[in-house]
Amino acid sequence: MNITSPGVPGNKPLLPRRPRPTLRALLALLLAVPLLFSLACGKKGGAAQEIVFWQFWPAEVIDPLLRNFEKEHPGTTVRMEQLTWQSGLEKITAAMASGNVPDLCELGSTWMPRMLHADALSDWSAGIADLKPQLRGWEICSIGDATYGVPWVLGTRALFYNKTLFAKAGLDSTKPPETWEELHAAADRIHKLGGGIRGFGAQAGERYVLFKKFMPFAWGNGGTILSDDLTRSTFDSKENTDALAYYLELAKAGVLDRQDVLDREFKEGRLGLSISGAWLFKSIPKDAPGLRYGVALVPAPDRDRGSHASFAGGEMLVSFRGSKQKQAALELARFLVRPENALALAQSAKSVQPATIGADTSAYYREHPEEQLMIRQFATAYPTPNHPAWVEMEAAIEDEVEQALYGKKTPAQAVADASRKLDELVGKK
Amino acid sequence: MSAIETRDTAGAEPAPPPPAWSGSLMRWLWLGPLLASMLLPFAWMLAVSLSETSGGSFARAISGPLGLGNYRGLFGAANVARYFANSALVAAAVVVLNVLTAAAVGYVLARRRVPGERFWSLGIVATLMLPKQVLMIPLYLVMARMHLLDSYSALILPFAVDAFSIFLVRQYVLGLPIELEEAARVDGASDWMIFRKIVLPLMKPVLAVVAIQAFLTNWNSFLFPLIFVDSDRLRTLPVGLALLSQTEHSVDWGFLMAGSTAASLPVLVVFIAFQRHIMSGLLAGAEK
Amino acid sequence: MRSYSRATAWTLFSPWVVTFALFGLYPFAFSLAASFTDYSPINAASARFVGADNYVRALRDPAFWSSLGNTAMFVVGTIPFTTLLALGLALAVQPAFRGRTIFRVGFFLPSVVSVVVLSLVFKGLYAPNGSLNGLLHALGLPTPSWLLDPNTALPAIMAMDVWAASGYYMVIFLAGLEAIPRDLYEAARLEGASWWGCLRHITLPLLRPTLLFVLVVNTVRSLQIFAEVFVMTRGGPLHRTTTVVYYLYEEAFYRFNLGYASAVAYLLFILTLLLAWAQSRLVGRTSGVGA
Repeated sequence: MNITSPGVPGNKPLLPRRPRPTLRALLALLLAVPLLFSLACGKKGGAAQEIVFWQFWPAEVIDPLLRNFEKEHPGTTVRMEQLTWQSGLEKITAAMASGNVPDLCELGSTWMPRMLHADALSDWSAGIADLKPQLRGWEICSIGDATYGVPWVLGTRALFYNKTLFAKAGLDSTKPPETWEELHAAADRIHKLGGGIRGFGAQAGERYVLFKKFMPFAWGNGGTILSDDLTRSTFDSKENTDALAYYLELAKAGVLDRQDVLDREFKEGRLGLSISGAWLFKSIPKDAPGLRYGVALVPAPDRDRGSHASFAGGEMLVSFRGSKQKQAALELARFLVRPENALALAQSAKSVQPATIGADTSAYYREHPEEQLMIRQFATAYPTPNHPAWVEMEAAIEDEVEQALYGKKTPAQAVADASRKLDELVGKK
Repeated sequence: MSAIETRDTAGAEPAPPPPAWSGSLMRWLWLGPLLASMLLPFAWMLAVSLSETSGGSFARAISGPLGLGNYRGLFGAANVARYFANSALVAAAVVVLNVLTAAAVGYVLARRRVPGERFWSLGIVATLMLPKQVLMIPLYLVMARMHLLDSYSALILPFAVDAFSIFLVRQYVLGLPIELEEAARVDGASDWMIFRKIVLPLMKPVLAVVAIQAFLTNWNSFLFPLIFVDSDRLRTLPVGLALLSQTEHSVDWGFLMAGSTAASLPVLVVFIAFQRHIMSGLLAGAEK
Repeated sequence: MRSYSRATAWTLFSPWVVTFALFGLYPFAFSLAASFTDYSPINAASARFVGADNYVRALRDPAFWSSLGNTAMFVVGTIPFTTLLALGLALAVQPAFRGRTIFRVGFFLPSVVSVVVLSLVFKGLYAPNGSLNGLLHALGLPTPSWLLDPNTALPAIMAMDVWAASGYYMVIFLAGLEAIPRDLYEAARLEGASWWGCLRHITLPLLRPTLLFVLVVNTVRSLQIFAEVFVMTRGGPLHRTTTVVYYLYEEAFYRFNLGYASAVAYLLFILTLLLAWAQSRLVGRTSGVGA
């Protein structure tokens, strides 16, 4: 039987030959090329002094600030790497596992408790002592007297309302609701307009979001989560139960959905009231330039009771124990939290405000009263307890509130169950 | 008549020429609507990508003005061309390496040419069965220790040899009759010749599949390029798009859809180019 | 001759062995080791050996079992449909006809776009005021809030997965179909076999290795569903869309318990191995997995 090899005419049988080296060489070459690349393009060692900075904001906002820092510190360069919001934590975690950490890093307030208690951050207590009176938000990055970071920008939640729908429902659009009763009444009237219009946008179960939308009502009513020494749960209380019951009532005069859907409904003018954040200041002019809306503090339970509480979060600047340039990183951090620099970031991003005390008196915020309101809201905002198991605790609270929202539990049951879970978690380190 | 003709000229169709339109019409009648309904989400993508005011809503996209503004913004954005180039370079390298190694290793495993073949085959399949979320950190540790982080190697080497591709080729070769190779050996051909001249051409369809799937997986790969590479100049397209279009609480729909549509085109091109080879009609008149 | 045989084989084989050992086996072994410790990536130095504690904890955790149930429902509810659809499409576009390429490309299109982007698109489509409900409303059908209703959230994600994956497996079936010698069909037709008869007695039996491959690969992939859940529902509502991998992801990256997450991953691994073995017994023959 003959085997005809294509391209070889005739029936010439194949003779045994030494295996041709071409393919082997080709393979070796192909594997060598990327290795050569790596030698050429791998991490470059020591520029005069190079600070590696990981953060989340767009380059066009941050780069000007970093170039100014470099001018003030000749011989120092900053290598900024931008992280994505959705997966930045994974990257930071991987870096920490290998010891390959940046010198300066931006961390969100949600992740701070675990990082703090893992003893992963470098102690800056001495280096920032003089900044203490100038900034707010220190509780987020401190344990006891020791401070492990510096607050950069802060974020909170407030009440957004649609002025056009207010007018349509016969409400005074210059007087947003200030108490729970006024809020419910307004939501009810707008909801009754019908035609796809809804009153209040209640937050559905959504990790890391529901907590921030519901707790303002609990805090405003005087409710708490943990005892001051973080040893036991104080969540099971009448204040929290009443707040949850109120939230359920409010949801009936509106719609239950996720944050991005609620935001979109608000922008498209179909939602009268919603608790949301400052990112809307950026997206409303873009997606809904004609929308007539206003912002107000989160309503308090009553005129003479409770407070206009909200959620307090933010972005901290930290350095890791394994960072190579800790001192230089501290200087960069101090530079970035200067009032003018934090303001530059907040002005551009809009979704956050500077941690600088007194920032609301600056010209920019006087010209932008809605954004200024966010800073005012921050004065009565509550940070989350600095317990290492905080992420699990937040999840437990969200789970129970979600059960109540879906009608699977009464408010009292939900609050009691959440409190029990918190007590179980409090012992965890 | 016992000649076995192996064809390695692309596109040689042993099948009869396609029937006239009338014969195809029946097929169009029932496949057409199915295809249209399956492509509806892409109508959504396209509409949103062409609208600058949609905010992610199809209704608002088609009721407003349509234009190429998002695409202009996409290609005007500073680094998008760089991201495209990086993705293309990395994907091309990975595809070439994948095809070569899958062909070689898949063949060797299928024909049991190395000791412990069972172990290796099982090992390949086993690594596919562990989710990458867990493998990510140890993989990162390996890369860090070898000083490969933040380089093109980080994007290419771990994916140059892919378990899935090897598995594909192995299964395929197991289905090829071994008689061809044995006959060639009787004729005096070396193993190397057998591999190159006989088996490799026969593997065309499966290698085309390997090429397509390697390109596809790599082109859209997000997690590993995200964590293995820090520098902007090495960034690939999916990571770059996410950075440019998504903030903590909102998505720039128009930009993201324009970017995703543009990013789909190279994969489509690769698919169209390679899918013909899947149909390169082998063993047309095979007889023993 | 013998020496050539070995030399050739090892030449072809060795580059892969090195890469596989580094990037495949090492992470695999590391995770196995980590599953017996309380390793936390942010605190790597203080990992302690905890024996089988992680495994016991997982098996006692109702959240783990619930995620396993969701994953099982996902697998059982998508594999048959995806496989049948992929096979059907492959059979439909395999014969030569005008415009065949358009259909091949069209059906393959969902696989071309990244799963994250597709999930975002479907998140918009499934929104209460989204296009899908718009269509259903026009037809007078009910319009649930697909991703918010605990009963419809997982089915909604499953439907998207079948839609997205079929085209990809169609291509694999196409390759398998091409390997079937055409003269078998000619011979059968000469003897008067019908289309259905050809399918039953020629195509399907000869497609067995490909079918097994598609089943195993799709099962392994479906058991690890993560990105769609992450983008569309974050495991909710009421944890009804939390899959095993989503569950372990939260453990690994939000609670930084990589040791525990690795144990969960290995439990999933054992399950996957069992399923693959069962499938190869049922469907495969000598060309099956590991056979």
